[in-house]
Amino acid sequence: MAAFIIRRVVWTIPVILLVIFMIFMMMRQIEGNPFRRTERAVPPQVEANLERKFNLDEPVYMQYLLYVKGVFTFDLGPSLTQTDRSVTDIVKEHFPRSLKLGLLAFMWAILFGIPAGVIAALRPNTLYDYILMLFSNIGFALPAFFVATLFIYYFAVKASLVPTNGWPLGFWEVDSRVLLPSLALALYPMAYFARLVRGTMLETMQQDYVRTARAKGLRWKSIVTRHVFRNSLIPVVTATAPLFGLVITGTFVIEVIFSIPGIGRYFINSVSARDYSVVMGITVLTSLVVIFLNLVVDIAYGFLDPRTRTSR
Amino acid sequence: MVVNPREAATLEPQTSAPPLLETAGAPIRQTSLWRDAYRRYLRNKGAVAAAVLFGIIVLYCFLIPGFWFIPGIWTTLFDIDPNQVNFLETYLPPSLEHPFGTDQFGRDLFTRVAKGGQVSIGIGFAATIAILVIGVTYGSISGFIGGKLDNAMMRFLDALYGLPYLPFAILALAVIGTVSFWTMVVALTIASWFTAARIVRGQVITLKENDYVRAAHAVGARWHRVLTRHILPNTLGVLVIAVFLELPAVVLGEAFLSFIGLGINPPDASWGSLASEGRQSYQTHPLELWIPCIFIATLVLCANFIADGLRDALDPRTRET
Repeated sequence: MAAFIIRRVVWTIPVILLVIFMIFMMMRQIEGNPFRRTERAVPPQVEANLERKFNLDEPVYMQYLLYVKGVFTFDLGPSLTQTDRSVTDIVKEHFPRSLKLGLLAFMWAILFGIPAGVIAALRPNTLYDYILMLFSNIGFALPAFFVATLFIYYFAVKASLVPTNGWPLGFWEVDSRVLLPSLALALYPMAYFARLVRGTMLETMQQDYVRTARAKGLRWKSIVTRHVFRNSLIPVVTATAPLFGLVITGTFVIEVIFSIPGIGRYFINSVSARDYSVVMGITVLTSLVVIFLNLVVDIAYGFLDPRTRTSR
Repeated sequence: MVVNPREAATLEPQTSAPPLLETAGAPIRQTSLWRDAYRRYLRNKGAVAAAVLFGIIVLYCFLIPGFWFIPGIWTTLFDIDPNQVNFLETYLPPSLEHPFGTDQFGRDLFTRVAKGGQVSIGIGFAATIAILVIGVTYGSISGFIGGKLDNAMMRFLDALYGLPYLPFAILALAVIGTVSFWTMVVALTIASWFTAARIVRGQVITLKENDYVRAAHAVGARWHRVLTRHILPNTLGVLVIAVFLELPAVVLGEAFLSFIGLGINPPDASWGSLASEGRQSYQTHPLELWIPCIFIATLVLCANFIADGLRDALDPRTRET
């Protein structure tokens, strides 16, 4: 097991380098120099100083290496448009808010999605199953921005149950304002979990060991909890990493609609403002989150299913 | 490991001939896999309904306002230009001439939603086809050659999985510089071809072990003949399903980008940008948001149902669960 974990952790290093390399090279392809957009001629000394500040006087491979070094030392460079803040400052301020939103949404998804899938699987082709799967299909298809707008209008504006916007800024602070954004964001992963759990549970129920358990007279309840449900959770764990990546991306649009000062809204503003070092920093950070989650999931998978330890 | 909804397309390969459902004694009629699948698909009422609805939406989008040099039914009938601004007729309620009403500039929403649909569906299909072409090329090279190359190519894909879908698409759009129909197709393709490559590679590897492929090798068939005659045609089933699994993801991705203002820009319309316009006047004119969103949702839902129906039809063994 230890060897498996070490191998898996070491493997993430080239992955991180490659991902940063791709993002870095893409950013280098973007046309234009942000300092030459002003109408006034910039004195050559100023330009040289600016280039030195952003490491632009170095050859490209050195720029890349310096950037990688920066990523590993939590220094993502200065922002292009906000001269008094570095990208790291911006990320530190805004990212925890988005992370909180994503985690809350994920909590809803697990809290409602998994039980829904279990109920549907235990009563397949009944009214319960049909209703739950109908909801799951709708959750899959409706765009998050639509649900979010409806939520604001009906729950916040018309019924005045919760404030229309605003966000508790502390990471551990939670109040009624988090309810609508996190639920709107949770819809897709909730539907996904419900479907996934239903599918894998129905599949597990046809396995031979379940038949054996029934044949030797175990009670159905304990078969479901001890044999079926536990084994059905493995695909759920696997799905967690890419799904969380999707949720973090989903925060972008939710943050715009609910005016949450998170990283996604900042990202979109930076794209419009052509603040490329911020765009690059946030993209790299999101990638690192996804890579890290993949690592955690793979290791968890190694614990849950011993067969995976030997392969790879 | 199924880690992505789109990866669920992986099928058991068609190793045996499809079952012949003939009564005993009757002369055995030749039935191909596709005819058999077609029959099975027709028996699935939900999937048929989804396919019909899907067809109606596509026809509506391409016939009502006209497409390319083909004049549209509705635009000719009522002499409507979907981009024509008319400040005397803003926010009209639905009527015969304007079945969905008009927007804040007095533009007819019935034809505008259809025009937007052309863009959304067009981007959806174009990107899906591009994704599959890249996926088939990459996946079949990796799977067919195998060995060290396969390992390296798959490791590369694993690394790409670390890139988040939409930020990567936004980055790709920034690199291209301009936003138009084709640049959206390119950006969405770059950001999401990995899954298709994985599916094809897995399929090629399982097919490669089949006896008929060995037999083809044994009688001296060249590698390109084996690949194009024996392996790739058998991945077609998976690819057809993959079209309807990729399509919703691309359509939703396009809607997302246009909604946040980084995609299709006015006066051009897509369902995402129409929804974005509709959101601003939601309190007074909710229809403007509802209509494009209902279209997006219906299209995605239909595509999912069609994909499920195709999976059941092409591989009857999965029917059990």
